[in-house]
Amino acid sequence: MWRTALLSLLLLLGGWGAASWLTHDFQVWTDEGARRLEVALRPLPTPPVGVDGPGVVAATLPGLLAGGGVTIADFIYTDCRSTCLTLGSSFQQLQAALQADRAAGAPATVRLLSISFDGARDDPVALRDYARRLNADPALWRFVRVPQAAQQQALLDRLGVVVVPDGRGDYEHNAALLVFDGQGRMVRVFDIEERQLALDYARHLARQQAPGAAS
Amino acid sequence: MNARRPWLAGGALGLVLALPWTREAMESSMWRHMLLQFPAWLLAGALLAAALPPRMRAGVTRWNAHGIAGLVAVAVTLAVLMVPRVLDLALRRPDIEAAKLAALLLAGVALRLSWRPAGLVVQFFFLGNLLPMMVVVGQLYIDSPLRLCNAYLLDDQARLGAWLIGGAATLGAAWLAWTGWVLAGRQMPPAPAGMTAQNPPR
Repeated sequence: MWRTALLSLLLLLGGWGAASWLTHDFQVWTDEGARRLEVALRPLPTPPVGVDGPGVVAATLPGLLAGGGVTIADFIYTDCRSTCLTLGSSFQQLQAALQADRAAGAPATVRLLSISFDGARDDPVALRDYARRLNADPALWRFVRVPQAAQQQALLDRLGVVVVPDGRGDYEHNAALLVFDGQGRMVRVFDIEERQLALDYARHLARQQAPGAAS
Repeated sequence: MNARRPWLAGGALGLVLALPWTREAMESSMWRHMLLQFPAWLLAGALLAAALPPRMRAGVTRWNAHGIAGLVAVAVTLAVLMVPRVLDLALRRPDIEAAKLAALLLAGVALRLSWRPAGLVVQFFFLGNLLPMMVVVGQLYIDSPLRLCNAYLLDDQARLGAWLIGGAATLGAAWLAWTGWVLAGRQMPPAPAGMTAQNPPR
């Protein structure tokens, strides 16, 4: 009987260990939660994928992000009728806040970037039309796609973006606000609802990164 | 030796389930992933357990008095595999997928070797843990306004939740009915071949 008790105890400990590893010490239960935690602990460099978009001169995504300052990014597709509309209005409000910063004389150190995950359809013309519909300010808010399908998938995999067709012609995806630092690394992932938090964090990061800034 | 046939069936089932095509089909939706793939691998393990020679069974029994260790193994495995992150991880990491399937297969073996030795009391304790856990997880899946798995849709998640609760209710009712049948004395639970459940060697 003691053998059974010992084995049962070991099995329970093994299960505890597995669950503890799986949930990062019982902090997260979903893969999305784990992704956000891991990004916060270890910034994620962006793979050097080629991008194009209206008014975008940088050839690669890291090059675009390294253009100075902090970037809040999201993933979109222009044909979207659900989540991206929420994201669109979320970004419009972020843009309004950043325009207010600029009007108050603060240097523009936080910028917005929308990356399409539907590179086959969202060519630069489609992206430009989409930007116009959202009244995007080209100085603050840029739109790009990854024209090569393999590179696009590599980018989604690296950043942990999962896109699922919903069977009704739309896509479901883990939409979020992704914050990139001046070196093009993804440093935080915020919920769409946490717009103010993402903005405050990006401003804080930009102040810290500004050369010669007293922080 | 009629024990050879279930062993063959279990092996064949395991092979079919391991095919990439089968796995992809079973993991294409959340409810199939949890309610088809999980029980199918448990069944394969249970069938394979028939291949264990009596001597090895006796050895196992020394470590598995009243089927307690085996049922602990099954309960722990299923509890861990109900964490939503497992489903996402299994889809994108082959090592996690392999570990998940191996754990289910072994849990099937453990279930087969432990169920009858367990007797009604231990069985009741086991189900009393497992079934409420299924109901709670199912209710969470139904109520969550967020997708808990990035790879699956929200309505799929709600359907899985409803079926988990339905499955728990069905299992509970079936066990009660079977227990009632046994207690009424109209049918004794047949003793498994090669061992006596009442007095496990210590």
